[in-house]
Amino acid sequence: MIRAAAVVLVALALAAPAAACTPKTSLSYLEGQVMCPTCHTTLDQSDSDAARAIEAHIRIRIAQCWSAKQIEDELVANFGEGILAAPPHKGFDLLAWWLPLGGVIGGAALLALGVWRWSRTTRESSTSNSLLQAENLDPDLERRVDEALARLD
Amino acid sequence: MTRPLKLAGQLVALAAVAGLLALLVWRLTHQQHAPKIGSSAPVFTLSRLTGPGSVDLASLRGKPVVLNFWASWCIPCKSEAKVLEQAWQRYRRQGVAFVGVDFHDVTGDARRFVAAHGLTFPMVEDGSGDVTSGRYGISQVPETYVVGRTGKIVVHIAGPITTPSFAGEFRRAVALALRS
Repeated sequence: MIRAAAVVLVALALAAPAAACTPKTSLSYLEGQVMCPTCHTTLDQSDSDAARAIEAHIRIRIAQCWSAKQIEDELVANFGEGILAAPPHKGFDLLAWWLPLGGVIGGAALLALGVWRWSRTTRESSTSNSLLQAENLDPDLERRVDEALARLD
Repeated sequence: MTRPLKLAGQLVALAAVAGLLALLVWRLTHQQHAPKIGSSAPVFTLSRLTGPGSVDLASLRGKPVVLNFWASWCIPCKSEAKVLEQAWQRYRRQGVAFVGVDFHDVTGDARRFVAAHGLTFPMVEDGSGDVTSGRYGISQVPETYVVGRTGKIVVHIAGPITTPSFAGEFRRAVALALRS
């Protein structure tokens, strides 16, 4: 009987480490992704009681091997979308992701258009300048150019 | 071709500036402040913390209501909890309703807090803070509002009612709400 109990105890002792899981995320990662609801900064920049309570909760979930997504989902269910530092990739919040990108692309397009127009204007003005200069050739030089061209013929 | 393009660009820039200005004005005009004494207490319906269903503040019209905003992470809320429970036990016989609003809290922590402090009055949860911050302009807890039978705010205590000055104010406010 005692031997059987000892065997069970040893088996349980061996099974415990095997049952322990590998954490799927880290507190340092989530601290940058989750906001402190009372101070409106990320957890890693806050030392408020609310932030510490949320950190303690995240630690428990990490120890239970919850993924970052699961933890974030639970916090969103608890505190609302405002708990996340970055807006979600859906619905109206998509604007927060796409507007800056649209702004950069639009700005680049405007810049390219400006450069193109500027280069075209410069080229046109240099061509017209050349023509202008050609019209104002010294008569003597013009005569000599004509003679040289005639000789080439 | 270039003139309409330039005009369109200017219009877009103007629209963007106007939009930003409108956003600024909206933000400034929609900043939440604590409701004034004598004004109607902002109504809300929030889910119960420790059981199914919800609590609707409007349904308590006709009774004096003590609205206490708290959180499990709030240190002064711990000492206040016992005093609030005692007050609830004393005033409930006189028809005063108590509602605890748990603010920006992890639900599990809040439930443990309620159990640990033996709080028996109705508790609701406001995890997002839409009611607490949005309608009552509260950013730090604990805070307590005493609302009269007509739904008008009698007093707003911005701190724990365990503080001697606030304790007296709380008692006077409940007495006033009972007479209202």
